[in-house]
Amino acid sequence: MTGGAQVGLRPPRHQADPRAVAWWTVQGLIFLVPVALAAVAAYWIFTSRPLWLGACVGVFAVGCVLLALVAPRAYYRVERWEVTDQAVYTRKGWLTHTWRVAPMSRIQRVDTARGPVQRLFGLADITVTTASSAGAVKIEALDHEVAAELAERLTAITQATPGDAT
Amino acid sequence: MNAAHTGDGPGDGHGVEVASLDGGASLDGRASLDGGASLDGGPGGGAGGWRGLAGRSLWASGAKSLAIVAGVVAAVVRFLVGSDWPPGAVVTASAAAAVLVVAAVVAYDAARLRATRWRLTPERLELRSGITVRQHRSIPLDRVRSVDLRADPVLRFFGLTVVKVGTGEHSAEGTDLALDPLTRHEAESLRRTLLRQGEGSAPGDGPLVELRWSWIRYAPLSVWTFTGTALVLGGLYKALDSFGVEGVATWAANGLWAWVTARPLVAVPLLLAVNAAAGVLGAVLLFAESWGRYRLDREPGRLRLRRGLLTTRSLTLEERRLRGVEISEPLLLRLGGGARVKTIATGLGKAAENETEDVAALTPPLPRAVAWQLAARIAGTRAPATTSDAGSSANASGSGAVEMGMGALVAHPAAARRRRVVRALVTVSVLAAIAGAVSWLAPWSWVRLSVWAVPVVALASGMWAAVTDARSLGHALGGRHLLTRQGALVRRTVALDRKGISGWTISESFFQRRAGLLTVSAVTAAGQGHYDVVDVGRADGLLLAARAVPGLLEPFLVREKARENQ
Repeated sequence: MTGGAQVGLRPPRHQADPRAVAWWTVQGLIFLVPVALAAVAAYWIFTSRPLWLGACVGVFAVGCVLLALVAPRAYYRVERWEVTDQAVYTRKGWLTHTWRVAPMSRIQRVDTARGPVQRLFGLADITVTTASSAGAVKIEALDHEVAAELAERLTAITQATPGDAT
Repeated sequence: MNAAHTGDGPGDGHGVEVASLDGGASLDGRASLDGGASLDGGPGGGAGGWRGLAGRSLWASGAKSLAIVAGVVAAVVRFLVGSDWPPGAVVTASAAAAVLVVAAVVAYDAARLRATRWRLTPERLELRSGITVRQHRSIPLDRVRSVDLRADPVLRFFGLTVVKVGTGEHSAEGTDLALDPLTRHEAESLRRTLLRQGEGSAPGDGPLVELRWSWIRYAPLSVWTFTGTALVLGGLYKALDSFGVEGVATWAANGLWAWVTARPLVAVPLLLAVNAAAGVLGAVLLFAESWGRYRLDREPGRLRLRRGLLTTRSLTLEERRLRGVEISEPLLLRLGGGARVKTIATGLGKAAENETEDVAALTPPLPRAVAWQLAARIAGTRAPATTSDAGSSANASGSGAVEMGMGALVAHPAAARRRRVVRALVTVSVLAAIAGAVSWLAPWSWVRLSVWAVPVVALASGMWAAVTDARSLGHALGGRHLLTRQGALVRRTVALDRKGISGWTISESFFQRRAGLLTVSAVTAAGQGHYDVVDVGRADGLLLAARAVPGLLEPFLVREKARENQ
């Protein structure tokens, strides 16, 4: 390292909407509860129900439910975003931290998406696409009005920028 | 039908067939197509300016269909001889089959030619095509980014060329427009018109590079040299097998096996030598075919690459699509002192499915020094300055960077090497554990011993890869470019135009965080989409990104005097 000053990336200013935790929890439960139930059912129907396997299946099922309950909270804490006049800046990831910066001048497309369950919670995702094939910058679980406003602002800035953004 | 000897079969066949299939109208159509300026729109036309493809294509496809004829005739003969037909009947039947095949191919091609019309207006290039599903494609002329010409030997014999017009958008969606085929003259003039190059193609300063046949010494320096022969033999065996000549193939294979087992000391080295010799020969021939007459020119605003001894290809790349160059050095080539140059350009896309060669490849394997010079000339003639990190040249491991005048690459921290060594050791210990389990369980004693070769070989190669990979890591910031290098088996040095960087992705895994490293990935619209500076020191990497694109990352950086105690 260069020594002297330590350099780091500051966390982006904003978090997802607090309702996101509930939504992610519901999402996780929708996916993981059937998995847990299937495991228990398979144990009950297809095996001769040995005790050790029962313990394993029990741990697995409880683990699934716990994961669905705990992961959203962890996710909510690490996922942050910020939009300045120059760039879109996001951070996510729990074990592997990933920061993404996309300058306004290179943004080609702004999409908002709302799934059916997401709509019940009044949330929306924003996907900001640049010309690169390396993937878009995604801001998840915003209040849908905030998202609409942000998308409008981003679109306006993008249209004002000359060039084909490559 | 029975008059068709195989001698001038294609000509006969197609004349007869087209006349009987399409009637006189199509013959007229073809006659005017040959002139190249047919105004009768054909089935879909009507408006002026619509032109057909080259009618001579029928001859070419007829000639090409002979390849299918050979296979079909062989199958027919084998089947009929098997079922006791008299020789005369067999000959007649195979002749009929041959005529049918040629006729079918030519008829299809005639239908395709009839259905295809193209037009060049002052604003756009239009193409109508499709026998059953009609398609209308149109490309505005100011969107044309590349015009590629390609002619295989048969097409060349008939003076034809396939023209492919690219718009530079992602070609996965089939935005390319292909005129298959035009006459060579038409194709060249279309190319010139599309690329607005009426003033003539004589920029004066000569080609950037031209083939030297001495470079053919790099051709065998590839893994394919040693595996290619086996693959070809395997394929041949398969082919013989499906043709029902498996008896011969099996007999040969059995004989070979008997010989090898009888005298392994003579046979094995001899076989290896033959394998290598055949591989070298194949590689040299392949090199000669694909890179013969190679020539790279800089025309105003674009690069033009011409190559191919038998199948000629001409590729044009606009310089404003260029976002950098990549120098790739696969292990064997690197040991031989060679390298290849590739472009990083927007909208070049992956190679089309039917093309095996890399679209981005700009040069054959050539001497490293030439590669670096060429890269420097393409990427911008001024050699970028060294980074501000003084004294970095001491730990720079690079060779070419210095020759290029780009200054040395900054090596990455020792922690990067430690990560790789640890990773290799973990892999080896897992393998060793498996080997231990196997040798404990396996009933045969020779397995118990030889299984230990796996972790031993893995240890040696893993450590080699770890150290080499760590040593090849490096980055630098030039006046116009961000340089990054990585890779053990294939060492890639990328010079990415800083103006082409459209964002950053910075990631830090759990283990990287503990080692004080991170991976800085420059996102770009060109090439593979992102180019990574792997396992760079945290402060180095962030400052590199901040400097490479001024003002983008800066607002999100925090500088702290003492963060260690936190």
